[in-house]
Amino acid sequence: MIPPIAVAKAIAYADSLALMAAGITLIYMCTKTFNFAHASFVTWGFYIAFTLTSLYGGSPYYYLPIAFFFVGLLGVVVYVLVIGPLMRRGASPITLMMSTLGVDLILLSFIQMFADYLTRVFKLYARKIVLEVYDFDVFGLPGITIVSLVVVVLLISALHIFLVKTKFGTAMRATIENPSLASVLGINPNVVYLASWFLGGGLAGLAGAIASLAITGDPTVGSRIVVSMFASSIVGGLYSIYGSVLGGLLIGLTEYLGIMVLALQVGGWIAVYRPVIPLIALATTLLVYPKGLGGINWSRITTRFKSLVGGS
Amino acid sequence: MELIPPAILYILVDFSTYLIVTLSLNLEVGYAGLPQFGRVLAVLTGALVAGAIPGRVLALMYGLPYGSEYAFYEYNYKVVDTLNTILEKNPLLAITIFISTLILAMVLGAVIGYLTSKPAIRLREAYLGITLLAMGDVLMLVMYYYTPIIGGTTGVSVVDPFRWTGGARFYVATFTLLGIALLVFLLIERLTKSPYGRVLRAMRDSELAITVYGRDIVKLRTYTLMVGAAIASLGGALYTFYTGSCIASTYTRVTWTFWPWAFMMLGGTGNNLGVMFGVLLFVIVKTLIVMYRGLLAPYIPFDPVWLEYTFVGMAIVLIAIFRPQGLIPEKPIFTIPRKRIEELIKGLESRIS
Repeated sequence: MIPPIAVAKAIAYADSLALMAAGITLIYMCTKTFNFAHASFVTWGFYIAFTLTSLYGGSPYYYLPIAFFFVGLLGVVVYVLVIGPLMRRGASPITLMMSTLGVDLILLSFIQMFADYLTRVFKLYARKIVLEVYDFDVFGLPGITIVSLVVVVLLISALHIFLVKTKFGTAMRATIENPSLASVLGINPNVVYLASWFLGGGLAGLAGAIASLAITGDPTVGSRIVVSMFASSIVGGLYSIYGSVLGGLLIGLTEYLGIMVLALQVGGWIAVYRPVIPLIALATTLLVYPKGLGGINWSRITTRFKSLVGGS
Repeated sequence: MELIPPAILYILVDFSTYLIVTLSLNLEVGYAGLPQFGRVLAVLTGALVAGAIPGRVLALMYGLPYGSEYAFYEYNYKVVDTLNTILEKNPLLAITIFISTLILAMVLGAVIGYLTSKPAIRLREAYLGITLLAMGDVLMLVMYYYTPIIGGTTGVSVVDPFRWTGGARFYVATFTLLGIALLVFLLIERLTKSPYGRVLRAMRDSELAITVYGRDIVKLRTYTLMVGAAIASLGGALYTFYTGSCIASTYTRVTWTFWPWAFMMLGGTGNNLGVMFGVLLFVIVKTLIVMYRGLLAPYIPFDPVWLEYTFVGMAIVLIAIFRPQGLIPEKPIFTIPRKRIEELIKGLESRIS
């Protein structure tokens, strides 16, 4: 059977994927930009955790907030320099997406340079990173499983409270619904867009730092899982942060555990097809039910289910 | 004997390969308005055909292992070595294999294009872009770990159809590549000026108007994706023959999707001549970085090769913000007015009678 450690790892991986997908969704909802630079955002989170742990010691957990703020600021820079000017000019979604691909290339090159720099100046080997040794144990299972689950639950609740209870959150939702109407009411959409890039980037950095305790990394780690991130966010429906979190958990677990189950059932040769799983999830959602998990009317389903159960 | 400095040959090879791939991208993006973010898919298909098929066909002909063991690295280089000595003595066979592989690559490329057109009919804009990008990535990752076709992580050697030219091998290969690239340029230039090309531009600008005029958008999109993929696949096969080896990790989305996009955006989306110019400019700058990185290396604490990425990324962002039409903007196509055609016909008729 599947060892419990694999299940624990799968949960941690799925949690980080959920945070990445939430960031992509938040940015898409506010600025209609499919942010491909998310790949490098995640890798930067990963490298911040690695660098600070290696240079200053301590547990990688200490550096989660730093990863959040640093990559959040990176998101702000990207918005101010690239996305903002393009949006004001009324660029098409394709141009916006293409420009984030350009940003991704720039950030990727910076990570590669940074990895070289770490090797030459600090004699750190930065091209195959394993931080799992710094993790603590909880009944023989890695601590990151518990911590990442707690982080996801806390962050999503905080985001919910922020969006529903605070004034700025309400302004943000208003801008998502109708930017011109919101600006008539005195809301500055630019501030809302900026905030979405800060939060989205921050979530990516945090997710990268969490992933550093669950998977092995190199400068292309984000770029390798970017298809899974987008699949999660699309399965979630792209218009609901909660949907994207569900999507991330679903894709992460299916990818990690599904392929293990399949390999046990039909043979190890199937393991090479692991990247096909998010592709199928993505294509099926888009073609069959583009609204995704976030678009399902859960309350209707539960009432129907109740009436079914009650009727029988 | 060095007739041409190696740097020029290097530029010519890169220019020819990327010209073919970028022109195919421009047909889909610049003319038809499809967000082709998965160019690498078709290029990789061509590379797979050239890497896996001609060697196996020859191995079958000469009684060498041709099954999945052909791709196993301990056999592969021996088998390909033997085949290359055979091809060296038999130019006719080499040319036949070369041309038939290219044709097969185009056919399979078109098939891949047809398969990608299935979601392309229903999905719009960025959603289609993501789906195409995911498809390209997935094929690359699967081929990198799947050993029986092109050897997975070890890759395979590819039979060399230019071996019989001896010492002139690199010159012949380079100029064949350049010749085919220019041929593709003329073909695409002709294609985009034909009624088909003009309909594509009209579809890009307004799908509704084109539907009103009775054109089938589904057919147009499918056809364009097939033609584009066939040409890109040709580029992949040619590049694989030139380098003489095939490994899936060469075909990443950065080098075969984003770079062509950057070349196209710099030159001028929707303008074939502009694309040619963009490719040339980029390839020269890239080569200069490669040539002079040795000079730069002592002063910076990292490998200068990464500057290439920064440079391409910057180019994409700066062009998108400051000059979205590219260096040579798209121009309207002028056809002969009807009156003039009628006059010509009258002139011809009077000459006959």
